[in-house]
Amino acid sequence: MKESKRAFPLADVLPGLPDQHWASFVLPLAVVLGLALFPFITGKDVHRETMFTVLRAIVMAVSLNIILGYTGYVSFGHVVFYGLGGYVGFYLVSEKGMSLWVALLAGGLAAGLLAWVIGAGILRLRGAYFALVTIGVNEAVRALIQNLDIFGGPLGLEMNFSVYKAYGGPQAMLQMTYNILVGLAVIAVLLSYAVRTSKFGLGLLAIREDEDAAEVMGIIAPKAKTWAYVLSAILPGMVGALFFFRNGSIEPHEAFPLHISIEAIVMVMLGGYGTVLGPILGAAGYQVMRAFLITNRYLKNIQLTVSGVLLLLIVLFIPAGLIGWLRRRIPASRRILL
Amino acid sequence: MTGRKMLALLLLVLALGLVLGACGGEQATQAPAAEQPKEEVTKAPEQPKEESTQEAAEAGKEIVLTIGFTESQTGKYNVSSSRQVKGLKLWIEQTNANGGIKLSDGTVVKFKTVSYDDESSKERVQELYTRLITEDNADFLISPYSSGLTAAAAVISEQYGKIMITTGAASDSIYKKGYTRVYQIYTPASRYLTGAVDIIKHVDPNLKKVAFVYEDSKFATSVVEAAKDYAAKQGLEIVLFEGYAPDTTDFGPFINKIVDKGAEAVLGGGHFQDGSTFARQLHEKQVPLKFVALLVAPPEPDFAELGEAAVGIVGPSQWEPQAKYTPEAAKEMGIEWCGPTNEEFVKAYEDAYNEEPSYHSAGGYAAGLVLGKAIMMADSVDPDAVKEALDNMDILTFFGHIKFDTSEEAHGLQIGHEMVYVQWQKDGDTLKKEVVWPLEGATAEILYPKP
Repeated sequence: MKESKRAFPLADVLPGLPDQHWASFVLPLAVVLGLALFPFITGKDVHRETMFTVLRAIVMAVSLNIILGYTGYVSFGHVVFYGLGGYVGFYLVSEKGMSLWVALLAGGLAAGLLAWVIGAGILRLRGAYFALVTIGVNEAVRALIQNLDIFGGPLGLEMNFSVYKAYGGPQAMLQMTYNILVGLAVIAVLLSYAVRTSKFGLGLLAIREDEDAAEVMGIIAPKAKTWAYVLSAILPGMVGALFFFRNGSIEPHEAFPLHISIEAIVMVMLGGYGTVLGPILGAAGYQVMRAFLITNRYLKNIQLTVSGVLLLLIVLFIPAGLIGWLRRRIPASRRILL
Repeated sequence: MTGRKMLALLLLVLALGLVLGACGGEQATQAPAAEQPKEEVTKAPEQPKEESTQEAAEAGKEIVLTIGFTESQTGKYNVSSSRQVKGLKLWIEQTNANGGIKLSDGTVVKFKTVSYDDESSKERVQELYTRLITEDNADFLISPYSSGLTAAAAVISEQYGKIMITTGAASDSIYKKGYTRVYQIYTPASRYLTGAVDIIKHVDPNLKKVAFVYEDSKFATSVVEAAKDYAAKQGLEIVLFEGYAPDTTDFGPFINKIVDKGAEAVLGGGHFQDGSTFARQLHEKQVPLKFVALLVAPPEPDFAELGEAAVGIVGPSQWEPQAKYTPEAAKEMGIEWCGPTNEEFVKAYEDAYNEEPSYHSAGGYAAGLVLGKAIMMADSVDPDAVKEALDNMDILTFFGHIKFDTSEEAHGLQIGHEMVYVQWQKDGDTLKKEVVWPLEGATAEILYPKP
């Protein structure tokens, strides 16, 4: 019948909404892979470095969207997972001589564990109270790290250049870390899609709309929120480990900057919160715009002003984000744009 | 409602048009000016030294080298970074105006810069330095301001085999990571306060009890840890070693501890705000100290606003306008003098920018000066030859003595340059900043004990 035509063809192997077009799954992946492959096509190192920043932002935005977009909890402390994962990963590589792969897993695990431990407590708060507490958690973890001698205290940790030899030298290391980031970005998209189209995700959306009503309907809100928080924390932890490994040093004030959290929120809102494709487009659009402005001969001196004006215009006139706007304007796109 | 939407659309189109128009404009105007010299410059290093200089002589040509760097045009390093860049640009303007650097084969070397805003953050430093090297074909690099950003940039510069002169990057650790083409202009953090210990030993060999009270930041901690070890070796007793949070405004608890422990001298501080507050509260509580040396704040002209509280406070500085490094001093040291005198630099800087140069400005100028001198010594723009010249460099400039460590463990670390120490002293009713250490560069005798 009509439904069978519209049915999601991979529904047997991947969770999907029954009336969702297959393109809703392929489109986000295609965007990420398209961006990721761009440096391979041009063969230019500078494009690889630009896309590293873009993909890093995509992972941050897509993971934040799980707690912000799907669950409706605005977190200003998302960078705490990035910083903690960065520290744990860096410590294992530089001080314990472990491989990058172990560092990545440990970074993700540490971030997930932190989310699980604090999530049980702070997710009881709602609205502005939760938002404020997330800033406090970020500051508290930064202060703790700054006072831990094993993490170098205020001096942070440094890595010898020779460590990269084990990965085929610095050039090979930069390429390898990029490839890993591509993998993490793809995982982030799959995770986001899986959550969005699952029963668990439906529960999160219900919590976002009305938490009390959701609980009446049988959703165990504290458990669902905590798991959403943990899922949103793991990938930023891994990306932190990757970023600081290629940077060769880590310091407390570089690992937990509040502005990364705020930028991630902006990217999610720009693309459209609560959607799979939105945060990807928001992150890519925002970072490509910033990369262009910062290196543009004429605009680089006023790049913050120009990007501020553009953001203002978008937020003023398209408050639901790009995907939200398209879905409202073109009803037919709703099956494709998830 | 429709009108509003139309307006929004119009504004967006205008904004995008502005962006795209600027993009097109850049390509159209930049190409003829920038690409021609770049080709010449980038070819030269690839060829053997003799061939490239021979070719240049035949053509009697002028080559324009590109110096790439990032500047913190926004963010917390903005003031220091922009002064550093002003210093560097002054050197470039002067060098180009004087006809460039002439090599023995008749080649004339001139310079131009390419730079981007790093926003005082590590986030894009590696991306921007990759762009400078691979897209803008920078021949030589200057570091960003601060040790943290430089550490990230050094990974990229070393990977591409580019020489990077660092200024504003005092941390020792950057130069102990196995790099071979990164060269430091500043005195490293480990020697920032060791001179203050030398001053104590010089003016009062009987002083024994020293307290370290410092900002809990990477820079200040690395400085005081090195100074503490040095002080202990010099036979001083460390009665207190305690850090404070960067936003501390009440130093009462620390001052009480200083008094309880019977400290005679205090070393520490961190940055301007906390350092000046600490100095003011030490004065208000009439702590009986003979000697106080604080980081960063005392060399700043604004420190004088503390009035009486500033009198006698000593502070380390990479350079001061009054510092007395002269060609005669170079002769006495048995090394070569290079570049303008202190007076010439200060005058040129003030004429160009209508402001007094800070040590960041002098550091930026010195970075250019050292690079130019290395090219002269190498008599080539070949990176390997310039690296060899930097390794062998031993010169005195208006900024001070420049010599680099060439050992495998700390290649590029600055070992010649020394901090100068300033002290605020009373000159009638006004306050005056005097250089009191090292003695050969002093403009006044040290005021001891501190009033």
